[in-house]
Amino acid sequence: MVTHNSEKNSHKKSLVKMINMHKWFGKVHALRGVDFEVDHSEIVGLVGDNGAGKSTLIKVLSGFHPADEGEIYFEGKKVTVTSPRQARKLGIETVYQEQALAPEMSIARNIFMGREPVRSLGFLNKKAMGDESMEALESIELHLRSPDTLIAMLSGGERQGVAIARALHFKAKLVILDEPTIALSIKEAQQVLEFIKQLKKEGIAAIFITHNLYHSFPVAERFVILNRGERVADVRKEDVSIEKLSELIVTPPSKVDS
Amino acid sequence: MIPEIGIVTLGVGMLMICAEFDLSVGSVLPFCAFIFITLIKNGLNTFFALVIVLVAGAIFGLINGLITVKGYIPSFITTLGTMLLWRGVLYVITRMMPFDLRAYLQPGSVFESIFIHEIGGFFPIQVIWFVIVGLILGFLLHFHRFGNWVYATGGNRLAAKAMGINTDLVKVTCFIIVGVLCSLVGVMETLRLETFASTLGRGFELKAIAASVVGGTFLGGGIGSIVGIILGILTIEFLENGLILMRVPVFGISAFIGLAIIIFVLLNTYIERKRMGK
Repeated sequence: MVTHNSEKNSHKKSLVKMINMHKWFGKVHALRGVDFEVDHSEIVGLVGDNGAGKSTLIKVLSGFHPADEGEIYFEGKKVTVTSPRQARKLGIETVYQEQALAPEMSIARNIFMGREPVRSLGFLNKKAMGDESMEALESIELHLRSPDTLIAMLSGGERQGVAIARALHFKAKLVILDEPTIALSIKEAQQVLEFIKQLKKEGIAAIFITHNLYHSFPVAERFVILNRGERVADVRKEDVSIEKLSELIVTPPSKVDS
Repeated sequence: MIPEIGIVTLGVGMLMICAEFDLSVGSVLPFCAFIFITLIKNGLNTFFALVIVLVAGAIFGLINGLITVKGYIPSFITTLGTMLLWRGVLYVITRMMPFDLRAYLQPGSVFESIFIHEIGGFFPIQVIWFVIVGLILGFLLHFHRFGNWVYATGGNRLAAKAMGINTDLVKVTCFIIVGVLCSLVGVMETLRLETFASTLGRGFELKAIAASVVGGTFLGGGIGSIVGIILGILTIEFLENGLILMRVPVFGISAFIGLAIIIFVLLNTYIERKRMGK
């Protein structure tokens, strides 16, 4: 197995460390003892073919499907993540492929969806919503005219930008990007990659899940490859090429081990 | 009366924004009116009776809401069921006989003048009720945190859930609001007509949906506004009254209203598409 870091106590310094994760869906063994970790402000590319277990792994981490077995350490402390709300409390935000935005609502209302700043009696503080939204968008270099613009009026890339800005605004320590470029044009995808680089500048770690190695290769620093629910490789970008990665993705786990 | 259908429509429209329907309003309304008249028939204080009726309305809404969100079935079906259920139960209990309000409540009471009273001899107090309900729901929907949850629930339920909004609670709350408004209007109508009839509020369900849609509320949820809903109800009611005044044969009026609804919604959709640049 190709691995870069396996000291016993490395979870002390890593941001998140998942050890021996198992997940069954009925009779399907979706995760077969996966180890996974992310350091502070590190961008990790999580790659693998369809059904490799990428989405399952991050859904375990974001609280959608609690794991059946395994331990999760966040900032050195053992945690159990049982709901998305709890994951967010820890500082784990997820940007989904099916955009987690309501198209007919304004940018500001989307950014603060479920966590609205309020004055007395629960009435919205619209000024704070507007100002803070623009601030969050500026911080990832996304320049939009007004926080009252409807999401439906934005391009696909800008929408992902809004979702990323939302994660940033709520002081995420780790942002999970689940296929953020999948439905985008080349130009829009480039824009999203720029946003991801901004995250790193802000000191935020990210897990970037994608099929498209040409999207994750320029931004990720390390790659974790899953295949049929197992981790088949964990490599630094310096030690690997896109060709080698593609090869690892399609090689069955038994072949890599031997 | 515009205020009566209007108050119900405000609730139904808000429910539609969070992507649910209530077809049972035309049954819940007379059922609450029946509860009211039965209570005062038994000598209960009118104000106390009103409180009980409002609670009953809330429970009717709660039942619709819980069946919908806990049973994972479309509210169209839930409320179609409860519409027939409550109507049938009501018909059996009352044997479809009307009750005379004046047998239990003398005219000119303070209670009555709060709900049906013509200020200065011409301005119906019901309009003020309509405005009050409109303002409350308007503030709630457009300026309150809850309104943001309603739009998010209707606009993208998965996103709302992922952001930690309890969408089930939002929906059930909207159902309860509709139930309470129905009970309020049930009492108002009973007082105004001085009679309880088990056919009160019949046809309100479709008229309320039609008015909401004419006012720009999207059937799939997520789009709509209180101002739009109010304009929608005014449009439908003025159209209906106008057609009567123009001596259009009464039995043909529904044809015109049907056409008008289609035309308005076509226009709405057209404008929406233009705005989105598609």
